[in-house]
Amino acid sequence: MNTLEEAKKAVIEDFSMYDEWLDKYEYLIELGKNLEPYPEENKTDDKLIKGCQSRVWLDSKLEDGKVFFKADSDAIITKGIISLLISVYSGRTPEEIAGDDFGFIGEIGLKENLSPTRANGLVSMIEKIKDLATESISKDDVLTAEDAKELAPLYDNVVMALKQVYDPEIPVNIYDLGLIYELIINKKHEAFIKMTFTAPTCPMADEVLAEVKANVSDVPGITACEVELTFEPPWDQSMLSDEARLELGLDDISK
Amino acid sequence: MRIQDIRKMFPALSQTVYGKPLVYFDNAATAQRPESVVRQMESLALGTNANIHRAVHKLAADATEEYESTREVVREYINAGSRKEIIFTSGTTGSINLVAFSFGEVFVGEGDEIIVTEEEHHSNIVPWQMLCQRKGATLKVLGVDDEGHLKVNELENLITDRTKLVAVTHISNVLGIINPVKEIVNICHSKGCPVLVDGAQGIVHENVDVQDLDCDFYAFSGHKIYAATGTGILYGKEKWLERMVPYQGGGEMIQNVSFSGTTYAPLPGKFEAGTQNINAVPTLKAAIDFLKLLKDSELQGEIKHVEEYLEKSFASLRVTMGIKTFGVPRGTESKAPIYSFVVEGAHHEDLALILDKMGIAVRSGQMCAEPLMDRFGVTGMLRVSLAPYNTIEEVEYFVKALEKAVKMLV
Repeated sequence: MNTLEEAKKAVIEDFSMYDEWLDKYEYLIELGKNLEPYPEENKTDDKLIKGCQSRVWLDSKLEDGKVFFKADSDAIITKGIISLLISVYSGRTPEEIAGDDFGFIGEIGLKENLSPTRANGLVSMIEKIKDLATESISKDDVLTAEDAKELAPLYDNVVMALKQVYDPEIPVNIYDLGLIYELIINKKHEAFIKMTFTAPTCPMADEVLAEVKANVSDVPGITACEVELTFEPPWDQSMLSDEARLELGLDDISK
Repeated sequence: MRIQDIRKMFPALSQTVYGKPLVYFDNAATAQRPESVVRQMESLALGTNANIHRAVHKLAADATEEYESTREVVREYINAGSRKEIIFTSGTTGSINLVAFSFGEVFVGEGDEIIVTEEEHHSNIVPWQMLCQRKGATLKVLGVDDEGHLKVNELENLITDRTKLVAVTHISNVLGIINPVKEIVNICHSKGCPVLVDGAQGIVHENVDVQDLDCDFYAFSGHKIYAATGTGILYGKEKWLERMVPYQGGGEMIQNVSFSGTTYAPLPGKFEAGTQNINAVPTLKAAIDFLKLLKDSELQGEIKHVEEYLEKSFASLRVTMGIKTFGVPRGTESKAPIYSFVVEGAHHEDLALILDKMGIAVRSGQMCAEPLMDRFGVTGMLRVSLAPYNTIEEVEYFVKALEKAVKMLV
């Protein structure tokens, strides 16, 4: 199978053959018509993508560590677009998909040339593909008791590494501040971290994220580290650890 | 006067999109604006710009004159009995929401009923739903038959002594059928129930005389009759407006303010709190002047010809391409030039997208009337809506483009 980059290049080349947008549509229609059939019973609400004027269903499954997509739409041009996305991203690893910037969509001018409602739909489709890939990253790990035993010390060490990173404004480390929302280490010893900041406007955000990634990657046994930033739910003081409360003198004396 | 003369008044129509001449067939959503309207807006913004009613200086007096003389022009145009019955709002939606709140607050209580129809635009459904939720009232629905006509014969039985208001559209934004509003008003009044007419499309295609219709409220927007966006009118019978409570509090809507209590300004000021859309409202004067031009009989003949040509084309497309149109007039009944249709095997959005690339602007989707889409069992439709500047050549080009688009898709 070709690489992700090769697949993108092929799509860009295919598209550049057509000067006229009507011809590009004809090409998309052709793709749509030839898309592998999608099982009727899977046209359920949880597979329906929001944000599209036409209806789009997208489903995925994980096989041998790779994500395979199936999709359908009642509008044929939309179906062509989703077919194009599938041809590029189906059969890739979840990490490849989650880490991709989907910039090639811009290179073929697809987003700019679609009606606003359909462009929104395209954005929703891309988000759904990424979500499904990210979901399969965590789904990837069905841990046995032995796996858990093996991973346990790694968790301790990663937490130690996180405790070395300090908030630029508060003299407490980011772990005890409660900024780490999620820490997952899979069987391949790849670490996935979801974290926040005390405020969305933190000027040092990029530096802190880079430091987290570097510290965790340096933990012996960890093979890779992905850090995702979120502000949902927003951070508040109740997320502080007891250590942090003590450090900041926030303990309620009357308690 | 000819269609070509009208076209020249609209600078927007001479533009090209994707290198093709623009064919603007989305007039039911918003009309293009004639140069006279734009010039008036410009002169108000650049010259006669002052807040109205308040100050004593010359500019304020001029601005007030511009604004208040518009009220008189509108009153005359729809033949309202008094300037007190003309309230300026932000649009049809603003007008309906005003009534849903101000009328609802006084006249609707728990267990009461409001009636709407199955062919209403969302803006003549949701404000009433919100009112019913607030008050514990019930929303009842008058149905539409397969041809797209309101089941007017069922109305009388639907109204009970708990029905406080019937809200009905003059012309459906999807079907284009002109509803027998006068008959509906008669039925409702015979049962002691007031009627609000959503005139968003009706004001565009009909000669509206509110005293003749005898409706209690008539709501419409400026932007569909060629005036500036953000302008709207609520006509309401004085007897209702007097008894309704204000919708918004603020400056200009008061007589005396003190912390022990405030008395409200007399009509129409009571419903116009805060600074109004002073640079836009007076464009209704230029727009109504333009509407009067359209009454020219030579022009009307030519417009009729364009509409008939499109209707004939649809009739033959029904046979050749299996298109299905919605809103079929009965016998000699006329219909507003609003044509919604679906094509067997081709999605409305795909068609709209391809037509767009050919320079043709049409509407696709649910058209803010989801219940009506459900009624006809479709997820959406395609809509062509004509204005007096649309030509027979544009219709011919559209038919060819539609055939090409369908060929691409099916």
